[in-house]
Amino acid sequence: MSDNLLEINNLYLNAEEKEILKGINLKIKPGEIHVIMGPNGSGKTTTANAILNNLEYTKKSGNIVFEGEDISNLKTDEIARKGVFMSFQLPEEIPGISVTNFLKYAKNKMTGEPVKVFKFKEELKQYMEQLNMNPQNMERSLNVGFSGGEKKKNEILQMLVLNPKLAILDETDSGLDVDAIKTVSKGIEMFKNESNAVLIITHNNKILHNLKVDYVHVLVDGKIVATGNQELATIIENEGYGKYK
Amino acid sequence: MSKTYVEDINRNVYDIKNEDNYDYKIQKGLTREIVEEISKQKKDPDWMREIRLKALEAYNNLELPTWGPDLSELKMDEIATYVRPKTGMSNSWEDVPEDIRNTFDKLGIPESEKKSLAGVGAQYDSEVVYHNMKEELIKQGVIYTDMETAVREYPEIVKEHFMKCVPITDHKFVALHAAVWSGGSFVYIPKGVKLEMPLQSYFRLNSPESGQFEHTLIIVEEGASLHFIEGCSAPKYNKVNLHAGCVELYVKDNAYLRYSTIENWSKNMLNLNTKKAIIGKNAQVDWVTGSFGSKISMLYPLSVLNGEGAKTEYTGISFAGEGQNLDTGFKTIHNAPNTSSVVNSKSISKNGGKCTYRSLVKISENAKGSKCSVSCESLMLDDISISDTIPVNDVQTDEVEFSHEAKIGKISDKTIFYLMSRGLSEEDAKAMIVRGFAAPISNELPVEYAVEMNNLINLELEGAIG
Amino acid sequence: MVNLNETPVRTCEHFKINNIKLENVLFPNEVEEFRNINISKVHSNVNIDSKTKKVKLAYGLSEILLEQINNNSNANINIEINSKTNNESKIEFKLDKDNLNLIDNIQITANENTKSTFIIKYESENNIEGYHNGIINVNAKKESEINIIVVNLLNEISNNFLAIENLIENNAKVNFTIIDFGGKNTISNYYSNLIGEKSESNLKTIYIGKENQILDLNYIDELRGAKSNANIEVQGVLKDNAKKNFKGTIDFKKGCKKAIGSENENCMLLSDTAKSLALPILLCSEEDVEGAHSTSCGKIGEKELFYIMSRGFDVKEAMKLMVRANFNGILESIKNEELKNQILEEIDKKID
Repeated sequence: MSDNLLEINNLYLNAEEKEILKGINLKIKPGEIHVIMGPNGSGKTTTANAILNNLEYTKKSGNIVFEGEDISNLKTDEIARKGVFMSFQLPEEIPGISVTNFLKYAKNKMTGEPVKVFKFKEELKQYMEQLNMNPQNMERSLNVGFSGGEKKKNEILQMLVLNPKLAILDETDSGLDVDAIKTVSKGIEMFKNESNAVLIITHNNKILHNLKVDYVHVLVDGKIVATGNQELATIIENEGYGKYK
Repeated sequence: MSKTYVEDINRNVYDIKNEDNYDYKIQKGLTREIVEEISKQKKDPDWMREIRLKALEAYNNLELPTWGPDLSELKMDEIATYVRPKTGMSNSWEDVPEDIRNTFDKLGIPESEKKSLAGVGAQYDSEVVYHNMKEELIKQGVIYTDMETAVREYPEIVKEHFMKCVPITDHKFVALHAAVWSGGSFVYIPKGVKLEMPLQSYFRLNSPESGQFEHTLIIVEEGASLHFIEGCSAPKYNKVNLHAGCVELYVKDNAYLRYSTIENWSKNMLNLNTKKAIIGKNAQVDWVTGSFGSKISMLYPLSVLNGEGAKTEYTGISFAGEGQNLDTGFKTIHNAPNTSSVVNSKSISKNGGKCTYRSLVKISENAKGSKCSVSCESLMLDDISISDTIPVNDVQTDEVEFSHEAKIGKISDKTIFYLMSRGLSEEDAKAMIVRGFAAPISNELPVEYAVEMNNLINLELEGAIG
Repeated sequence: MVNLNETPVRTCEHFKINNIKLENVLFPNEVEEFRNINISKVHSNVNIDSKTKKVKLAYGLSEILLEQINNNSNANINIEINSKTNNESKIEFKLDKDNLNLIDNIQITANENTKSTFIIKYESENNIEGYHNGIINVNAKKESEINIIVVNLLNEISNNFLAIENLIENNAKVNFTIIDFGGKNTISNYYSNLIGEKSESNLKTIYIGKENQILDLNYIDELRGAKSNANIEVQGVLKDNAKKNFKGTIDFKKGCKKAIGSENENCMLLSDTAKSLALPILLCSEEDVEGAHSTSCGKIGEKELFYIMSRGFDVKEAMKLMVRANFNGILESIKNEELKNQILEEIDKKID
């Protein structure tokens, strides 16, 4: 068995009739931070959705392996319980379910163990303070009426609480001001350790100003066209994607 | 989810069938002889007997509704309208016969009486078998008793109010109710008395092929305040049972009444109920209603805002599953200046069930400065169910703010994916969304009842979603 | 007494909206040919004849009125559209003392892949007691698009009955704009059967009721085709003792997966004796759909009125401006400037 946490092998994928991913290959080891950059419509968000097997998309060929197991056809919740987390670009609003109750329930599903209410609330409060979140949001309905920034921070909060092995952050930095991006980067640093990994998906590289990453991949038209280190992101920032099109 | 996630309850709690072990069961059908016999059995005073006979005449003259659910399976010839259980009324659970007491025990009534209620009434078939209230309330002049006792002991008050809020000719089933009514609760809250804990009446229909026709009469005097809860259930039989209760609420100036209902009749029940409140100056009535049971329900509580500045709110949810046709909603009539009404209705249809929201908002010519806002949301859980919204908005003057909004749709795939990405199975995700959808209503209920409602939702969703 | 314009589902009869009951209306049964018709600017690919055709309606206003069309119509117009470019045609009826009664039967077939626009206008001389009973029956074949603007400027002592019915096939689109200003009683029904996949029905109505006018609008969209789309948008004004019943139904029939339906009605009340009755119905027998309706009602906002008046307008002018503003979204769909100006003038006259 390889020591890869995640492997995407030659993945082809359609949305209805349209081919979106055209042979994606990606390997992520524990302890690494990867970035996928690419212009709008290149297939970045689709890649994240493919890992969690969103049924809006149809996998045509290739597979996705997590900790040595083919997870291509597992249900979304099974994949999540194996330790894959995705921070959504547009988190859904769930009226009537408070942040606390939701996270408690999700945590219980993830660990299969009962959640100790008092300890859990304390933990939640601490994370929220560190992420500059309003503690009153804990009792509000999940994402309902949250500002764009609050929603993104709430995704990071969920990541910290659920503590996955692989965290995929889909455009978590988009639409945020400088301070909020710093908070998000701080959240990633709080999360990151030797045994887990992060996959950041972004179309700009503001978040990379505050964060050290191991690999940068450039995704254009459903394919990874270049892979490099943090410098590649700087080159893209200056030159754009023109030469890859 | 400390509140919402509790162990599933056993449906059997609602389905306990006791032996049809009555003291007296009147012959089936509806004739003058039968009505006179009921009156005799109940030892009515003459004036009450006259109301019954007048109501029977009205019943015979009125047509079935030309709208709403099909009621053709209701055959009055097959319904016994009066079933007296084998016990008298008591104010101690010890004195209630064991099988009946066990039923109420399992429904959690004596338990919640101890914990969180100011008083409890329990009706079994046609008669109230238990009624009790905290001592200190009696001292404050609060009256909470069964209707029969009220007719005997407070004839003047009852005469003045009984079937005066709801006229007997209002519709066919009100007339039926007035002809054969039995049981129910009478509540009188004196001026300025504010009850901190709710009163609860629970109605249980055990006898097959019978009907329950309890009458609830509540008078909340000026500046007084009350939370009244009614619960109802019945075990399931193969033939239809009928429930045609009537609730009359008089809420005087500056008074407040919250009327909560958790309705969980068995799925062979025709629930043709009538509820109406007359609301005085700056007074307020809030209705909170959860409709889960019954085969057919037709229920549209009516708030008449007669005093300037009167207010009413309706918060309701109905959940229709296989074979159920729940036609529910709200009516409000603004009859005075600066009155206001707020309606928040939700419905869930699954497994071929049908939910209809039917309503009337009428703002009369003299209701200047009134406000009304209505919001209806319907959730379809599959493509064999039905969900209809039929609201009438009748505005007769210009100085008003009126708005009505309704939405219909299914649970979004995106939302399900989001929750599944957090480790919830598809079933859990859908159940969570449904519970969240119902939360505005369960939040309005006392904790025990919110738990019961969520249990009912869990029960209803079990196996329904996939 | 006659009952007209039944709603697709009934509600409690005490609410007085299941149908409209009219008394003292005469339905003329001996009528002469209606001569005051003007049909203009017809493109060569639009064929018009005046053969009498019997019609059957799935909906309609009532049997009596349909029978009258089939037995006594005095203006038959059959239109077949073959034009691929959008040309505007105009049909104008004017009731006068020699043409008091109009019983018109307009049958329109929009053939596949065609585009067309029609203005159908009903006017009357002042002081004549006219009568109008009409049908506009549209069959929009695959991929066709048809725009129809119906303008009712009849006087306030004439009765006006109009039934519109559309059958809409795959990818076809029917856009109706109805300007309902006239009539003593204006009773109208709009029924669309969206049978085709991705078929579309858009209905936009503005109405003004004044004095003792009665309007009864019964609009129904039945969505049957997958991804079909129906919209009803109604903006109205009532003054004096005018009375309006709006009944709008979006009906999601089984099979209309991913269909979208919406309906919105807003009524401005300019007097405390005007009456607005609304019944926005949503019926749904299909899961994967999106349906929404909203209605609202009230007088013109004092703040807005004050703001406009602070810019030097008197109350009347300010009101006219507000009414125009409310109607503007719908008026924009009328491309014919001359017609639009006539409507704007009518608005000012009515509000005065």
